[in-house]
Amino acid sequence: MSGEGLVDAERRRFNAIALAPSLIVLFVIAGLPAIYLVVTSLTPFQLVNPGSSTDFSSPLRNYLLLPGDPRFVNSLWVQAKLSFWGVLLQVLLGMLLALLLHTQSRVVEFARTLFLIPMVLPPIVVAIIWKLIYTPDISPLYYAAGLLNVTMPSLTSSVDFALTAIIIADTWEWMPFTFLMVLAALQTIPEEFSEAALVDGANRLQIFFYITLPFITPILVISGMFRLIDSVKAFPLVFLLTGGGPGSVTEVTNYYAYLLAFDFNEIGYSSSVTIVMLLLVVAVSLGVVWMGRRREAMA
Amino acid sequence: MTKKNSSHKSAGFNRRALLQAGAATLGAAAFPLPAIAQTKPFAGVTLRGASFQHRFFTLLQNYIPEFEAQTGMKVDLQLSAFPVYNQQANLELSSGGSAFDFVNVTFILAARWVAAGLLANLDEFTIDPNLTPAEWNPKDFVEGAQVPYRDAKGATYGYSWEGGAMVMGLSRMDLMEKKGLKVPKTFAELQQVCAEINGTENVNGIVSFQLHHWCLPPYIQGFGGNIFRKPPADIMPTLNSPEAIKAIEYYANLLKNYAPKGVLTYTEDQARQSHMTGRSNIFIHSSAWITPILLSNDSKVKDTSRVVRMPAGPVHDYPAANSQGLGIPKNAKNKKAAWEFIKWALSPEISMRLVKEHGHSSVCRRSVIESEEYRKLNTVNGQDLGALYLEVLGLPAKGENYMAYRTVKEFPIVGDVLNKAFEQVATGQLAAQAAMNAAQEQAVANLRRAGTAL
Repeated sequence: MSGEGLVDAERRRFNAIALAPSLIVLFVIAGLPAIYLVVTSLTPFQLVNPGSSTDFSSPLRNYLLLPGDPRFVNSLWVQAKLSFWGVLLQVLLGMLLALLLHTQSRVVEFARTLFLIPMVLPPIVVAIIWKLIYTPDISPLYYAAGLLNVTMPSLTSSVDFALTAIIIADTWEWMPFTFLMVLAALQTIPEEFSEAALVDGANRLQIFFYITLPFITPILVISGMFRLIDSVKAFPLVFLLTGGGPGSVTEVTNYYAYLLAFDFNEIGYSSSVTIVMLLLVVAVSLGVVWMGRRREAMA
Repeated sequence: MTKKNSSHKSAGFNRRALLQAGAATLGAAAFPLPAIAQTKPFAGVTLRGASFQHRFFTLLQNYIPEFEAQTGMKVDLQLSAFPVYNQQANLELSSGGSAFDFVNVTFILAARWVAAGLLANLDEFTIDPNLTPAEWNPKDFVEGAQVPYRDAKGATYGYSWEGGAMVMGLSRMDLMEKKGLKVPKTFAELQQVCAEINGTENVNGIVSFQLHHWCLPPYIQGFGGNIFRKPPADIMPTLNSPEAIKAIEYYANLLKNYAPKGVLTYTEDQARQSHMTGRSNIFIHSSAWITPILLSNDSKVKDTSRVVRMPAGPVHDYPAANSQGLGIPKNAKNKKAAWEFIKWALSPEISMRLVKEHGHSSVCRRSVIESEEYRKLNTVNGQDLGALYLEVLGLPAKGENYMAYRTVKEFPIVGDVLNKAFEQVATGQLAAQAAMNAAQEQAVANLRRAGTAL
């Protein structure tokens, strides 16, 4: 082995030793529970029947039951709608806001800070804020509508609006994230490009589509992916605003898993729901990454 | 009742306390304590208990130092939010843990915990005269409140500290009298009163909240139906019986047409607020949530309110009743000490002090509820709230235990399905017949999946 190879091997060993404590901690606090979740999903474990936690007589039972569970299938569909519209709105509005506030002035800097507030609030606080907004008899929104003689339905108990209400609240909370990412990306675009385009007679729209957008597309994809993964965790909003209702209109998969585990005591079945949800999120994320790479390769 | 109670833990030192402590120390040094005080049976024991946050425990904490002084033990009472406590206790008990010596036996979980053998049989303590004096009298607890804490053989696994009796509150009797309306006594009259009052001076006819599987069953039973075929023995759901469908239609009609917008997502607090401010005329729920229209300082409708029995159905008059109890986990380390605490906390003396000193009226001891002091304190505008409370709380124990549907371990699964079905009907997603047929199918499938033999 050459001297350079030895140095490389030494470095690799050093890196492995340096990383080991963190990896061990990570494995203990994240890996072990995840493994236990998989193991539990292979049992009919119920809290009131402790012996069932070691019953592996029919390990695939829970997974085989899932496709025939209309509530689970419905929850996936609700989750898909929530994720799609939520992410789309957050990415588009975040980008629009970033483009508007991509300028230097004290007022704009203050506005930027203001727009970040929803993102840093605890999720439960966000849920309570929107609970107040959506509750007709105490809501300033309904009060204002009343002054204008506009009759509004109760958004969170309306079949047509309940999911939209949650999407709006989720967008309000997380749009600042995409806004921040896009704003950071915009600030890395050299100004010479757009100046040269202006000299060549390009209008603002052309500059956006041919210069700005290609630059920020990777960031849009990444922030969209982050939000997609995060959208599966819209639990506090669903829990507080609608409780999954009316009926099952807003019952997303993680809320259903929560009900199964803590209301019905079906820990095993709930674990299988969670595992399927996890696999779907991983699959969608990989799909998004693959599409992004393919697009880069074609460019 | 808005009296402030400071926790004993937060009591600060002051000069008087310091002087008293000093005098006591000197006195103790000068006159050694008799031997009996040094042989406190539980000296050195730290008793760990858990429950959800409730006014009962907040008030009880004022008296716990007395109990600690009497017994020599230290009480560590952990109070959490209702859902948090239930999850924590469920996990703790089902995993055979011994972190708690006594726990709240939550009404909706009682059947599951009792059936799974997660709690200690308290009869072992009550039949032993060395552990329980005769005057403690287990039979003094209102029978209807004790039903959830018994197994099929009649053994007791909990004693109730809180009773919930479903009653009807009318906040705008003034409007009703103007229109010549009387207190509704039947479902038909209830609908008529709601219709007549709704919209008058911006008042809603009725208000309710999102726990439909608590509010709805009295209507199902009132029309002659039930949640299960014959609980607790036969727990085949009967959600699509003609009576249940009729009840769903009736109750959905009430909420759709005469309740505030958004009532389907109302919490209990929102409903009570709407009732206490006179924005809604009728609210039917546990007495603790209804009587504030007469007793609370925040009530804007004290002079125009009545609290009465909820209307009767065409077939049955079955207002719901529930309770919360104290029990001992099967694997608790300090069972005798825990029983000592339960015995003290639910003694007639402490129950009476809670009533007299804090106006806390939802106790479960008959001797207290029937006492003159209780009656005096709980008679408002000529209405004997105590008698009403006792009457409703005792109903499930008279004849058929119609609350049995709620004390079977399968109820949470079926109750959730019922909730969803009701919301589908109330929001027009499905007709009652279709919703209840689907609910029946789903309830059966869910129970079978959970391993229930039907």
